[in-house]
Amino acid sequence: MTDGQADPAAAPGAGGHNVGLVVVSHSRVLARAAVALAAEMLHGRPVRIEVAAGLDDTTFGTDAVRIKEAVERADNPSGVVVLMDLGSAVLSAELALDLIADPSIRDRVTLSPAPIVEGLIVAAVAAAGGASSAEVAAEARGALLGKAAQLSPRPGPGGPEPGLVPAEEIVGVFTVENLHGLHARPAARLVSEVSGLDASVQLRNLTNGAGPVPAASLSRVATLAALLGHEVEVRASGPQAHEAVEHLLTLAKRRFDEPGDTTTHEQAAGSPGSVHGPLPASPGIGYGPARRLTPAPLAPDSTAVGEPSAEWRRIVESVAAVRREIEHVRVLTSRELGAQEASIFDAHLSLLGDTEMLADVKARIGAGAGAVAAWAGCLADVERLWASLPDLYLRERAEDVRAVSEQVLRALTGEPTQHTSASGVLIARDLTPAEAAALDTDVVTGVVLAQGSPTSHAAILARARDIPMVVAAGRDVLNVPEGTTVVLDGTTGELHVDPSPELLQQFGHRAGELADRRRQQLAAAEQPAVSLDGTSFAVAANIGSGADARTAFAAGADGAGLVRTEFLFLGRSIAPRLDEQRAYYEAIAEAMSGRRITLRTLDVGGDKPLPYLPMPAEANPFLGRRGIRLSLDHRDLLRDQLVAVCETARGFPTSVMFPMVATLGELLEARQVLADAAGPAGLPDGLKVGMMVEVPAAALKIETFLPHLDFVSIGTNDLTQYTLAAERGNGSVAVLSDALDPGVLLLIDRVCRAAARDRVDVAVCGEAASDELAIPVLVGLGVRELSVSPSAVPRVKETIRQLDTRRCRPLAQQALTLAGADDVRKLVLAMGSEATG
Amino acid sequence: MDENVTTAVLEEWVRTFATLIEQNRDYLTELDAAIGDADHGSNMDRGMKAAVAALDDAALTTAGALFTKVGMTLVSTVGGASGPLFGTFFLRMGASFGDSDTASPRDFAAALRAGLGGVVARGKAEPGDKTMYDALAPAVDALDLALEAQSQLATGLKAARDAAATGRDATTPMLARKGRASYLGERSVGHQDPGATTVALLLEAATESSF
Repeated sequence: MTDGQADPAAAPGAGGHNVGLVVVSHSRVLARAAVALAAEMLHGRPVRIEVAAGLDDTTFGTDAVRIKEAVERADNPSGVVVLMDLGSAVLSAELALDLIADPSIRDRVTLSPAPIVEGLIVAAVAAAGGASSAEVAAEARGALLGKAAQLSPRPGPGGPEPGLVPAEEIVGVFTVENLHGLHARPAARLVSEVSGLDASVQLRNLTNGAGPVPAASLSRVATLAALLGHEVEVRASGPQAHEAVEHLLTLAKRRFDEPGDTTTHEQAAGSPGSVHGPLPASPGIGYGPARRLTPAPLAPDSTAVGEPSAEWRRIVESVAAVRREIEHVRVLTSRELGAQEASIFDAHLSLLGDTEMLADVKARIGAGAGAVAAWAGCLADVERLWASLPDLYLRERAEDVRAVSEQVLRALTGEPTQHTSASGVLIARDLTPAEAAALDTDVVTGVVLAQGSPTSHAAILARARDIPMVVAAGRDVLNVPEGTTVVLDGTTGELHVDPSPELLQQFGHRAGELADRRRQQLAAAEQPAVSLDGTSFAVAANIGSGADARTAFAAGADGAGLVRTEFLFLGRSIAPRLDEQRAYYEAIAEAMSGRRITLRTLDVGGDKPLPYLPMPAEANPFLGRRGIRLSLDHRDLLRDQLVAVCETARGFPTSVMFPMVATLGELLEARQVLADAAGPAGLPDGLKVGMMVEVPAAALKIETFLPHLDFVSIGTNDLTQYTLAAERGNGSVAVLSDALDPGVLLLIDRVCRAAARDRVDVAVCGEAASDELAIPVLVGLGVRELSVSPSAVPRVKETIRQLDTRRCRPLAQQALTLAGADDVRKLVLAMGSEATG
Repeated sequence: MDENVTTAVLEEWVRTFATLIEQNRDYLTELDAAIGDADHGSNMDRGMKAAVAALDDAALTTAGALFTKVGMTLVSTVGGASGPLFGTFFLRMGASFGDSDTASPRDFAAALRAGLGGVVARGKAEPGDKTMYDALAPAVDALDLALEAQSQLATGLKAARDAAATGRDATTPMLARKGRASYLGERSVGHQDPGATTVALLLEAATESSF
């Protein structure tokens, strides 16, 4: 009989050439558990681990004869390393060697003094890696070093020995892999990562000697002037020092989540002759005299300097106001263009939260300066520091500082961000999102940008606000004298400076037609969207706030098909209270005047960690813990949100849906939390429960979900990304990420068919819902609700009114058989006149 | 001084030792409970019973085979440190006797010394470490001395037994420096070492056998 066991993780008969291991212990249970622990590290790699432990399963003791047999079984030409617990285990193992008759076996056995658990794990890993028996033995001997270092006493009050790393300080080094170095965006990501951890972190640029600087200060991190290839040392101390170093090193490998194609964007934007442009950016005809954006000069602060506490309060309030403003634009941009495009706002937000900088401002106020002077002085210093950096790209980031600084100054003084003195076409180099958001539609009839791109924040905002825009028009447009007549067509990208009267007349005619059409759409927006064959559709709006809801209602939205509750959760250090949430949801419901609102529970992930939802840096946040996955890990938060949802549902027609569901278990768990939140009274009457279909697996398994749902909402943006394995925000693969790809359409088709059988409503809330070419296909597949951006509601309604669902059906079926999204678009265009009757 | 030591009397010694161990099992365990893991008596009893059973099953004609059998059995059945230590002791004795059919008193003494050497090699014990060595070494010395003085083997074994008992008693004030008792540090002082006690029983058994 033998009590030696072949380790289950070892391949049978794997007597190969990995060093064999023998575990000797008084306790068989202990030895087997140690082997199981070690096996976890092997991931199936063959290492033979033999056990010689206990006299039987329950009697403690060691047996030299069995140890000898175990050694002989584990033996191979690479040798054997024996790990033992104490006392007789050592004696018996030594005796076992005496008992081995074959001297060649005896000679290749090493008895290791390593502790049995730590030693075995380390030895197993080393052996699996093909290490020699001497190396395995050495590794095992060193197994306690990590634990010893971890537990070594902290330096006394005298502090660390000079030249020695303090015991509790964790040090790591990363190499900057970002093309433009550690500029504002990656630096902001770094700062936000550090801020979420309980650790004090210092950075030093080993390549140019800059630093050390606190990693929590964006303004200081930028001064490291860390360029591509530079090595940066991370020193962390405090309870989460390990995590801090680990996270930063991981983040650095991910290039701080910066998109890989910044070069193309920069080149396009900076090209003086504008090889591409002008490019259409926001549809519509704009004409009028050329106007320049002249930032209103900041009047000197005439208000008397108050008490330092009052001046400081002005700073705090203004910074908070600007923060909210940026947060809003950030979410808007993230929604329209993806998280990466929005990341520049993270840099701005980080600057606003830069404790070093704020401390400096406070110190200046303490020294007698007024709020404006303190802020301007401090920011000017930071801007100067950045502008003096050797790298051109980093130098240009000084503009980020200027932009944020000015925004706060204007908040402090109450001055408008910019003004155009008279009505006309605005010509500018580029627009900051804040500037674009502040454009006065009564004054600005169109926008021409020398730089920029159709996907820039400014373009998104222009489209959202119905301001015609062309971009990438080239530097020359900046020389157009103020007052010169300019006409542009934001649909085609045409731009004419000082046009002939005939051309002007032609554009005027085009503008009139467009305006008429828009007026008709708006006039009809209140009317339901009914197709030619009499099928009714709901056209709802995707919104994030009460203000959005008012816009949506005015645009004739039949409801709020997607309320992004993230707005309420972003940009704050603690989660919103229950009553705050309810007030927020009810304000939206009130603004929708009785039309149904569909609240989506918190949908965030590792790409935008919230301070009160600590998350480790993930290698791939879009495939990580986000949406319902995160919520189920933070049930109190989810429960609070669902309590607020239920309370809202008791007063208003309300639906709730869960994002990112991949398995039935998640849905059932979420429904359980909802049931708990509803309390003993049960779910409110009229509360509909649904889920987002955005994970392909959920679409494929839709039948299993349907019995537990009142509706599903297909999030085509994420569904497309996940189906095509192509991220929208990544320019180099964005072309793949097209919701009209038949692969995506097949999933939608599957969902619609199953849902129709179970009489579950299907909505689409992605961008495809407002895409003129996608709408006939979606309608043909059976979608009966489209949720779109508020300003698109009238247009989408008008589009539907010209469709005949009986003709859309065969169109959609044919689309399912095609090869790619392009083919589908061509098909829809070719059959357009037919399909629309 | 010329009488040979027969395998039968050597086997009688082993069996007598087993009996004494059985009789003192609880006492030994009690001693071990004070400074160890409270298993010395039961471990040794299990081992010696197994050894006796092995002797029952096999007709061993040489001293070498006898002690090798006993040693191997102890190695596999005692479990605690006594297994490899007493196992080594008997194995070395067996090796010392070799294949020889006959054994003189000096051969016996040499075998005991070889056994002691095995214990030292295995346990790395030094005088005063509060181990079985502290009883065994004086016993082996006493036997050698007696045989040097032309004493009868039985007389020498009585001297050895007395030396072992003295050595055993001397362990009480010692500070344990080997084995589990060493973890107790100062608290090991004042307790008699169980291993040394067993060695005293081994020599006691010799004087009760027909050497």
